[in-house]
Amino acid sequence: MKQIANFIVNGKACELAIEPHMLLVEVLRDELGLTGTKQSCGIGHCGACTVLIDGIPTLSCLTPALTARGKNITTIEGLAEGTRLHPIQKAFIDYGAIQCGYCTPGMILSAKALLDRNPNPSREQVKQALSGNLCRCTGYVKIVDAVLAAAESMGKEASE
Amino acid sequence: MARLLKPFEYFEPRTVEEAVQLLSKYGHQAKVLAGGTDLLISMKKRKITPQYVVYIKSIPELDYIHYSQQAGLKIGALATHTAIADSAIIKDKFELLASACGKVGTPQVRNMGTIGGNICEGGPSQDSVPSLLVLEAKLKLISLHGERIVPIDEFFIAPFKTALQEAELLTEIQIPTPPPRSAGCYKWFTKITTVDESLAGVAVLMLLDSTDGICRDLKIGLCSVAPTPIRARRAEQVLRDKKIDNSLIERAARVAVEETSPRSRADYRKRMTGVLVREAISETWQKIRQLHLRERA
Ligand SMILES: Cc1cc2nc3c(=O)[nH]c(=O)nc-3n(C[C@H](O)[C@H](O)[C@H](O)COP(=O)(O)OP(=O)(O)OC[C@H]3O[C@@H](n4cnc5c(N)ncnc54)[C@H](O)[C@@H]3O)c2cc1C
Repeated sequence: MKQIANFIVNGKACELAIEPHMLLVEVLRDELGLTGTKQSCGIGHCGACTVLIDGIPTLSCLTPALTARGKNITTIEGLAEGTRLHPIQKAFIDYGAIQCGYCTPGMILSAKALLDRNPNPSREQVKQALSGNLCRCTGYVKIVDAVLAAAESMGKEASE
Repeated sequence: MARLLKPFEYFEPRTVEEAVQLLSKYGHQAKVLAGGTDLLISMKKRKITPQYVVYIKSIPELDYIHYSQQAGLKIGALATHTAIADSAIIKDKFELLASACGKVGTPQVRNMGTIGGNICEGGPSQDSVPSLLVLEAKLKLISLHGERIVPIDEFFIAPFKTALQEAELLTEIQIPTPPPRSAGCYKWFTKITTVDESLAGVAVLMLLDSTDGICRDLKIGLCSVAPTPIRARRAEQVLRDKKIDNSLIERAARVAVEETSPRSRADYRKRMTGVLVREAISETWQKIRQLHLRERA
């Protein structure tokens, strides 16, 4: 039987009636049209479905949507302000850290959670924070470079 | 494998009492859901298709880490691997548990997965369990009929079969404070990548007499190398009340290997058990000696 669920998705309140067996990734993609969140392995290994729930990187393919009721959910669509990209998004483009793009939303959200907690991470800490996000085309060097560059530019922005 | 779940009815109790009432009402058709990092995969694979799912993460009273010298460490079943691995007190006094939880899966899996789920899944390769075995943890289980305390070494019965009864909830893990001048560590080897489950996992806890260098107590816990996580009790005997040296450590490692009975890749797992037991004991021995030196200084 459907149950009513209230979420805050990318800062906007929304109310939906959903079946208990619906996964968060399905609700985001199919009900809310937020197709930036990707479904890939379905068993928690690849991290493509990562979203932030109350700021914490979470696998939306292993999360029944009802369990996220009342929570703040951030998807990749929630990062840019209009056409102004988030510094991490911009750095991914500048550093060529994107190829096919399938892992990118999850990768960027894991990076955002890290930088929100630790604005000045070491290279090792970036690698650690991204270790649950697999990329099968770029290799990880450019991705890690991009996150470190984003940290720097966000630091500058903050001190301005 | 199906990517979607089969329909079920969903409950979200707010108290332990409400949860055990639901579990008792729906019996074997109900399944407890915590972080879901094991259960949802079993449900997608259609290994388990519960009609009723009881989600327990909205029970606030089950998510905590408390410590006092006297009462020891008490961990609520819903504490996540991230919370345990990052806990200052656990890193300081129960480091072998912090490193085991820090090893589990990926950051996302550690953010979602709970220690209660790790224990109750009851598989051979639950990474938190060897450390809990050597720390002699006790599990608090609650049902409608009341509560009981089960030592963790009596909890695992067969692969994915535990002492947990149908309508029972694990609520707390209780760990006594290890004696002063003891140390331990957790060592593991994964199957292929770091995300994979452990090919072998070894926890060691040792108590060493600083005056004569005699090993007063040693406990060895193993996972992934037998149908359930086990203690290597005969290997423990090899070192207990002896003055430690490398050849004794070598012998203990050989005995530990004999105590394993891997269900697959037996040769590889056995060899790695030997390597890991040797490394874990040596590393722990080093740690204790440094501890003693620091105390004297
Ligand atoms: C990609 C990936 C990597 C992983 N890597 C590892 C690893 O390296 N090491 C490792 O040990 N595990 C690993 N796991 C398995 C899993 O993440 C852990 O076992 C985790 O701790 C399970 O906890 P959970 O809260 O998600 O449990 P759930 O999936 O919610 O539950 C697991 C089982 O326990 C029962 N249960 C849960 N809580 C309770 C309770 N309080 N009382 C009674 N029954 C309960 C459930 O009914 C279910 O049967 C991995 C999983 C994934 C997806």
